[in-house]
Amino acid sequence: MIGPTGVVVALVVVTIVAAAVFFVRPSITGGITGKILAFVGLCILPGLCIVMGMSFHMQRSEQTKFCISCHSMEAYGKSLYVDDAKHIPAQHFQNHRVPPEMACYSCHTDYTIFGPLKDKLAGVKRIYLQYVSSPPNPITIAGGFKNAQCLHCHLGARAFEENPVHVSIMDSLTSNQMSCLSSGCHDTAHDVANLSHEKFWKPGT
Amino acid sequence: MKLNTIGIGGFFRVSSALVIVGLLLEIVSLLWFSPLSFVLFAFVAASLIGLGILVYLASLVFAAVPASENRE
Repeated sequence: MIGPTGVVVALVVVTIVAAAVFFVRPSITGGITGKILAFVGLCILPGLCIVMGMSFHMQRSEQTKFCISCHSMEAYGKSLYVDDAKHIPAQHFQNHRVPPEMACYSCHTDYTIFGPLKDKLAGVKRIYLQYVSSPPNPITIAGGFKNAQCLHCHLGARAFEENPVHVSIMDSLTSNQMSCLSSGCHDTAHDVANLSHEKFWKPGT
Repeated sequence: MKLNTIGIGGFFRVSSALVIVGLLLEIVSLLWFSPLSFVLFAFVAASLIGLGILVYLASLVFAAVPASENRE
């Protein structure tokens, strides 16, 4: 069974073969058929390879194991296994309130490459810091964590909307005037500075 | 050297070379699981492939033989 990687690699190989033909024998484009083949081999197929490659990389970037493959993210990955229900990311990850294989992306849908241009540029800066300079400590999200990241799942959910505390401040939450995380309600997220004091959950035990 | 003196064959060679190198780098980026693989794809491979496409498109403008010359 060919996976998504196999499909993209197969397309790329076919395109390489097509491009190689025009590299070795550019004279075959003399006729109308050759011109059409050149358009397909040097414009359509390479363009398709860019689109499919970008789609493949974007989907791979959504995986938890991809996020924590960065050395500076290892502690954040470890924080998903803290055995304490007060730790919001850990509680969501361990109870499958977010898909575990896409845990990071589920709550950081506007982070770096997934966000608008400003976030994408911030992502480029982070790559520079990771590989050329050194990442900031602690790592922070520019502009803070937005409530929209919580509300895209919780808004409309019965347990959330019928909670009297949420009802009384709903406008402040939806307008991002009051933060879900830093207003003292759900304030334990990725407490990486204190991980050494925590007990960890081991899956399957 | 004027662009239209290069000839369409020269344009095609440059275009296909850029596309081939870009695609080989794309394969490496697809099979390499690392945050750098995305950088390799987005900043190097896709740029080379895109440049190859642009050179091909440029060949249509700068190296095309006018229809009147074909009839002579």
